[in-house]
Amino acid sequence: MIDMSKEKNIRNSIDLLLDVCSLMMTSGANTKRIIDSVNRFAQVLNLKSHALISHKSIIMTLIDLETNESYTVVTQIPRHGVNYSIVSDVSRASWVAVNHQWSFEKLYNRIQEIKSQKRYPVWLELITVSLAGAGFARIFGGDYLNMLVAFIATFIGFSVSKTAHHYKANTYVRVYLASMAASLVASLGILYGIGQHPDIALATAILFLVPGVQLINSFNDLYNNHILNGIVRFVSGFIIVLAISLGMLTIMLIFKLNVLG
Amino acid sequence: MELLYLDLIEKAVWAGIAALGFGILFNIPKKVILTVFILGFFAGIVKFVFLSIDFNVVTSTFLASLFVGITSIPFAHKVNKPIVVFSIPAIIPMIPGYYAYKTILGIRKFTFVKMDDKGHEQLLNSIFSNGFMVLFILFAITVGVSAPMLLLGKDMARKLKD
Repeated sequence: MIDMSKEKNIRNSIDLLLDVCSLMMTSGANTKRIIDSVNRFAQVLNLKSHALISHKSIIMTLIDLETNESYTVVTQIPRHGVNYSIVSDVSRASWVAVNHQWSFEKLYNRIQEIKSQKRYPVWLELITVSLAGAGFARIFGGDYLNMLVAFIATFIGFSVSKTAHHYKANTYVRVYLASMAASLVASLGILYGIGQHPDIALATAILFLVPGVQLINSFNDLYNNHILNGIVRFVSGFIIVLAISLGMLTIMLIFKLNVLG
Repeated sequence: MELLYLDLIEKAVWAGIAALGFGILFNIPKKVILTVFILGFFAGIVKFVFLSIDFNVVTSTFLASLFVGITSIPFAHKVNKPIVVFSIPAIIPMIPGYYAYKTILGIRKFTFVKMDDKGHEQLLNSIFSNGFMVLFILFAITVGVSAPMLLLGKDMARKLKD
């Protein structure tokens, strides 16, 4: 039996291109890169694409250049999670596809292949991110004991974040809980006076939650005149920053920490 | 003096490790892991050297991000990956976490602790100086890292096509 979804027609093409769009959007590509890549894929299939891409949904019209037939579909984008391997592979595939004039089936198979790639194992993420937390403590002038506290606090905060992600919690709730957990551990360092500058460990333990990719993409979109997307990304990043600080404030109020001056 | 250099290099190594940690979190391709560490390390060196010769934090951060933005272009050409894959993890260690923390502390104290007008004045001072520091450092990072990409945008695309 022939797999119907691999046959080249305008309906299957638009499904594939929407898949590419939503894959890149969730993985943390900026809007210009998404539009460029999708246009290249459309060019390979001898189609013309026009897309309106927003944070949660995409509207795309495809025009077949031979028959002038057109097709428009609106689709929802699933939850975001930064994945630069996907951004890199899809971008690369769009260039190679243009240069080698890939067939629809080849394109389809390549995208499925990219989608099925595995992430780094969770334990590796946990260890490297915690080391990054310790590194931040060193950069901001902490000593080795502060780094140890920052490491443990990041480790626990990140585990909480992963667990909340597993239970599909709201993003901002997840960040709030993770920030609370990390600050809780780091404030124990302040209460027991571990190291010379225990407040540095508190300041750096929550840095893994900072939405760096979101904020940088936001500025990138603004520079490239995708102003609306830029604003959306900025606001969503800003709410995450608020959630982080709220988590920290909660713990400070509970422990009545008074570390400023 | 030698001790100072050692301290600087050690901090830069930790900046590299932090960059690498965020790279893993963002699931960068395996091929570029070492590159991200190296970029993070040199970005740290640039920033700390400028800081040690009494440059302002915002200026040193801008120069370090500009450095990352420029050097990631040849790396990107070499392994055929988008620039953001290296540049963004490498600049993450420069995020002004400590200033943001001090801003929040100030706001907390301003809202929840009773004090006289003079205390409030001092707090407002600290909230604004730290808060604007955060804003300008973030601005320096994003402009510095994306300026080379934006300026060379069209040329890059043509080169990659050939």
